[in-house]
Amino acid sequence: MNGLVTLAAAAGEVKGGEAATFYLLAPIAVICAIGMVWARNAVHSALFLVVTMLCLGVFYVLQAGPFIGMVQIIVYTGAIMMLFLFVLMLVGRDASDSLIETLRGQRMTAVLLGLGFAGLVATGLYRALGNLDSVGLTQANSVHGGNVPGIAALLFTKYVFAFEVTSALLITAAVGAMILAHIEKRPDQKIAQPERMRARFAPDNYPGPKPGPGVFANSTSVATPAVLPDGTQSERSMSKILPQRELTAAEAAPKGTEHQ
Amino acid sequence: MEIEFAAAEGWLHNVWLLIAVPLVSAAILLLLGKRADKWGHWLGAGSVGVTFVLALTFFFQLRGMDEREGVELSLFEYLPVAGLKVDFGLLYDPLAAIFTLLITGVGFLIHVYAVGYMSHDPGRRRFFGFFNLFVAAMLLLVLGNNFVMLYIGWEGVGLASYLLISFYFDRPAAATAGKKAFLINRVGDAGFAIAIFLMFATLGTTQYDEVFNGVGQLTGATVTAMGLLLLLGACGKSGQFPLHTWLPDAMEGPTPVSALIHAATMVTAGVYLIARSHPVFDASETAQAVVVTIGAITLLIGCIIGCAKDDIKRVLAYSTVSQIGYMFLAVGLGGAAYALGLIHLLAHGFFKAGLFLGAGSVMHGMQDQTDIRRFGGLAKHMRITWITFLLGYLAIIGLPPLSGFFSKDPIIHSAFERHGWSGWVLGSVALIGAGLTAFYMTRLYVLTFHGKPRWTEGQHPHESPPVMTIPLILLAVGSVAAGGLMATSVPGWLEPVLGEHEEHHARLSEWTVTAMTMAVVILGAGLGFALFRRGTALQEQPAGPLVTAARRNLYFDTLNEVVFELPGKLLTRALVFLDNRGIDGVVNGLAATVGGGSGRLRRAQTGFVRSYALSILGGAVLVVAAMMAVTLS
Amino acid sequence: MTTDIAAETLKLPSLDYAALAPMLILFGVGCVGVLVEAIAPKKARFPVQLVLAVLGIAASLTAIVLAAGTEKVTAAGAVAVDGPGLFLQGSIAVLGLVALLLISERSLERGGAFVAQAAVTANSEADRDQATRGSGATEVYPLIIFSLGGMMLFAAANDLLTMFVALEVFSLPLYLLCAMARRRRLLSQEAALKYFLLGAFASAFFLFGIALVYGYAGRVDFAGIHAAVLDSPNDIALLYIGLAMVAIGLLFKAALAPFHVWTPDVYQGAPTPVTALMAACTKVAAFGGLLRVLYVAFERSQWDYRPVLGAIAVLTMLVGAVLAVTQTDIKRLLAYSSIANAGYVLVGVLAISKAGLASSLFYLVAYGFSVLAAFGIVTLVRDADGEATHLSRWAGLGRRSPLYATLFTFLLLAFAGIPLTSGFTAKFGVFAAAIEADQTWLVIAGVITSAIIAFPYLRVVVMMWLSEPGESTPAVSLPGALTAAAVTIGAAATLLLGIVPQPLLDMTENAAHFVR
Repeated sequence: MNGLVTLAAAAGEVKGGEAATFYLLAPIAVICAIGMVWARNAVHSALFLVVTMLCLGVFYVLQAGPFIGMVQIIVYTGAIMMLFLFVLMLVGRDASDSLIETLRGQRMTAVLLGLGFAGLVATGLYRALGNLDSVGLTQANSVHGGNVPGIAALLFTKYVFAFEVTSALLITAAVGAMILAHIEKRPDQKIAQPERMRARFAPDNYPGPKPGPGVFANSTSVATPAVLPDGTQSERSMSKILPQRELTAAEAAPKGTEHQ
Repeated sequence: MEIEFAAAEGWLHNVWLLIAVPLVSAAILLLLGKRADKWGHWLGAGSVGVTFVLALTFFFQLRGMDEREGVELSLFEYLPVAGLKVDFGLLYDPLAAIFTLLITGVGFLIHVYAVGYMSHDPGRRRFFGFFNLFVAAMLLLVLGNNFVMLYIGWEGVGLASYLLISFYFDRPAAATAGKKAFLINRVGDAGFAIAIFLMFATLGTTQYDEVFNGVGQLTGATVTAMGLLLLLGACGKSGQFPLHTWLPDAMEGPTPVSALIHAATMVTAGVYLIARSHPVFDASETAQAVVVTIGAITLLIGCIIGCAKDDIKRVLAYSTVSQIGYMFLAVGLGGAAYALGLIHLLAHGFFKAGLFLGAGSVMHGMQDQTDIRRFGGLAKHMRITWITFLLGYLAIIGLPPLSGFFSKDPIIHSAFERHGWSGWVLGSVALIGAGLTAFYMTRLYVLTFHGKPRWTEGQHPHESPPVMTIPLILLAVGSVAAGGLMATSVPGWLEPVLGEHEEHHARLSEWTVTAMTMAVVILGAGLGFALFRRGTALQEQPAGPLVTAARRNLYFDTLNEVVFELPGKLLTRALVFLDNRGIDGVVNGLAATVGGGSGRLRRAQTGFVRSYALSILGGAVLVVAAMMAVTLS
Repeated sequence: MTTDIAAETLKLPSLDYAALAPMLILFGVGCVGVLVEAIAPKKARFPVQLVLAVLGIAASLTAIVLAAGTEKVTAAGAVAVDGPGLFLQGSIAVLGLVALLLISERSLERGGAFVAQAAVTANSEADRDQATRGSGATEVYPLIIFSLGGMMLFAAANDLLTMFVALEVFSLPLYLLCAMARRRRLLSQEAALKYFLLGAFASAFFLFGIALVYGYAGRVDFAGIHAAVLDSPNDIALLYIGLAMVAIGLLFKAALAPFHVWTPDVYQGAPTPVTALMAACTKVAAFGGLLRVLYVAFERSQWDYRPVLGAIAVLTMLVGAVLAVTQTDIKRLLAYSSIANAGYVLVGVLAISKAGLASSLFYLVAYGFSVLAAFGIVTLVRDADGEATHLSRWAGLGRRSPLYATLFTFLLLAFAGIPLTSGFTAKFGVFAAAIEADQTWLVIAGVITSAIIAFPYLRVVVMMWLSEPGESTPAVSLPGALTAAAVTIGAAATLLLGIVPQPLLDMTENAAHFVR
């Protein structure tokens, strides 16, 4: 018997610290969920989702389900959402993503139907669970000596077949990722190291790293090409996706860093 | 009366050949493609000829038997689902035998005729393929031993007819007519299909013998429903009110098609259906009443509209509608009149096929002209066609001793004998119909073959080749002789199928009816002759030296118009209007509704995934709400 | 008490390996297939994978046949092995084998219907390069095998959780396969993305439904739910909302209105052999799952869900039939036809009787064969740009190749339910079952929609036969042995099941008993 049971005991009746935690986090979870849908920036959306999932994780722990709570935080919040954020940042979508709805009535109908569905389910659940006494997981957790062993018992007895079959799902997912993302080069497309070297030191190729933008220029903006030692501007120093722009007068003004 | 069929023995064991021969021929013609172009038409005609010979042998075999209730040939079991079963089998009984002879005999003549008629058509092989397919399906229809087989044949002839009507698919009118025929027939077919389901539901079988023996156990309402649904099917196939509109349009197909399918055989399938299921109709007074009503209405509508049409094939088509109305009237009267209806069907098969083929021969010689106002004086130029057409014409108006006299007069007589006031109404309708038939057929005949030529320029009418005229002659012989022969022999022949019936004529004697009919017919024919002897008012005629006489004639015409024609014309117009706008409109409207609805729904399929998700969400709301409603109720 | 004490008490439940073999074999073969991709040299992969897949499915089929007659629940109640389950698994194996023939065809197009490298940007230089010379990706084989395995499990799953896992196992490979067309790649990728997103949406409903049903019954296995319908103290609303949502997930997979919206787009965009696989096998699996849920778990609620699902059946038949009228693309037309056919199967399902079960099983098999042959012919009608799917291009096909036009006409007649085809037998069966169960209104709707949907079918027939071939009428390729075999099997089955349906009817009749 350890801390798990203490937590489990609290599940019998909602009071004290548990109640306080719940009423503190519940609004946050809901607000962040709404924020996730509402936010125009994909990164913001993802972060809102992270908060919601964290809150849910805490709720699970509060409900005497520490395993699912931790899994929620580690897997969903930690792994999946972070991966999601990485991808978002790699792809580099910015806030200028078009959000203008082209389908007439789509949004309004979606909102109405969404509210209608939520209303229906909520009514049903309220009717069904309105006066239900929560029993908590105490009894369930005690059968196999705790929450984690209990889940293990289910996974390896009752649901062992489904659990094993999940492996097919994971293999499929891996194969799918390979198919959709991996390009196999044909032998004649592969370039060996000697060729690569020769190409690098061939005439008209600059073997060193490219200068960063703004180097020696009179501005540090990434939109300013670097100035080479001979005074010419190097186009190579700038990312191709950035528009090259005229500097404003203030930006072009001497900043006291030029050679006197 | 318990109905039982013996198993087929001996030569009759080969009845299936009747269906197999034309079917194989059709398959060869359609599958070999261009390779069969050279000899395909002879194969097509020949296969039907062989079938006719086979049909004759079977007929005599059956005639030689003592028990002529019919023989059954079980092929294999089909569809035993949950206690229901359909034996795939054939039934060769006197009723099937005479239909088989009609289909193969008249069919063979029309096939031969078509060899000549279609000689310039590049699609002749395909045409014969479809034509053979039709014959096979029609034989399946009459030879099946249960309603499901009947239905299979029913759909088969529908398909073949659809393919043949739209044979000239490059003409938009032909394609439209094909579609219309198809759509209207589906309405009828749905009724028929539901009737079959009703049999399954109540009796668990569709075998003729079991259904007919079981009719007695059913409630009156069920039998009436079954009868009315069967009638709906029959109306669709036979072009009866209110589903008759497709038949005149179907004349867009090649003329041999009109002759075989839309005059002699397929359109009479409805009559066959009712005669075949006579125990059902015998058991329901209401269903019979509806059948006679529809027959009477149709025969009148057909006659009246026939008077107003100027297209030779359409006049004949409305005439077909009206003549089938007579047959419906007869089979609706029940009892002894069943045989009368069938006799009229057979006789009509001869003379109407002859008339259609004659019309085809006229068109052949007149560069496909169909407007009777543009004919005239053709008697001199196409002798054989003229004589055969004349015989067919005399037969249809019922001049003794031609076949129409023997087949139509008894129907009129029987109609008068129906109990209660309805007998008087039906008899009068049938009588008026006979007069109108005489009128419009005279108009058609006179305008086509007599009077001055009113041809368009560049016409050189000529007689058709022997391959076309020989069938005409044979059919004309049939038109003359068939009626008298059959009136004496057919009722006895059909007795095993339809049962014995005593004829008792209480109201009017045979001679009274004959005299009345003859009077009406002569009145109608005489009126038609007088009015159209000199051509038609719609045709401009140069003022000749006999101006006064012409004027007097004109005055007579006007008088006639006011007294006789105007009300008729108005009625006709109203009916044509109703026909085009009302009934046609409903049918076309249905098709347009489906098409329009489809187009509108299609727009909902935007291709945007969010809009799809929305519709799924909408569906989810509905399903959950419905389940909630179930819970709360 | 600590965890290690608990571990001692854990015992693996008894697994009846013979009964599970059909699925285990397929999953095993799938894993081997993935290894083959990693190890075998590129040239050898196609023959090795093909042989492996065919042998795998054949072995699985053998295992099914050997298990015939078994009636038991195994793997701790997760999998039911019974008549309908084995019949459905057998159907999936046979139909899958025929679909595999279509998928493996490589003579119609260099390298087959699949793109060599799906990761190459569509319409780029590299893409044009690989379109002309790359031979198709062989990863499709393990994916198909996994998918078939998932479908078999879906039809045999005896609790909602296993069912959900099976649903995902068979769906995920299909999403991937949809994206791998060699031609019109953007359309194909769009189809895959749509299918994936909407599939995930529907899965969410399914999962939510499971939670609610669990909330009511306290269990997710079907026998438990069946018992709880009578004696659970909880509010029945939980059960019904849960059932509704579980049903939504299943209806989506079976393409029933209004959850059918993905079907035309996906059927059109996916490589045609994959479309054939989806139309035949996915439909069998989805209805297998639906049958089990409705007949085993919720049988006692039939009076409550029947009107709702009946309305869905009517709507589905109507939507499928009416929308088919205005389609101009043969694949979309067949997609709407498959929607309408799903409606007819649902009519049989809703009889909730032995006859209903048997007739639905028969319908699924009959339709599966016909639709495989139909899509097989679609792959043959092609020009330089690949398949010619626009209907106008089919005008006059009867002149160009009477044989295939005849076959296609025959298949369309089967879809229309003309007698002497399997379509008639099948429709007849479901309608008869529904009438027996007093669901006449469904039958009336079925008959009316049959009349409507016959129109587009016959329009195609008329177009093929009665129009002159135009400049743009594509030639029909001579099929390779594999496609020829697939089309022949499909058409022959359609004919045989129309003329002598008795053996299969007996089989369905004998199989029609669920174990609980």
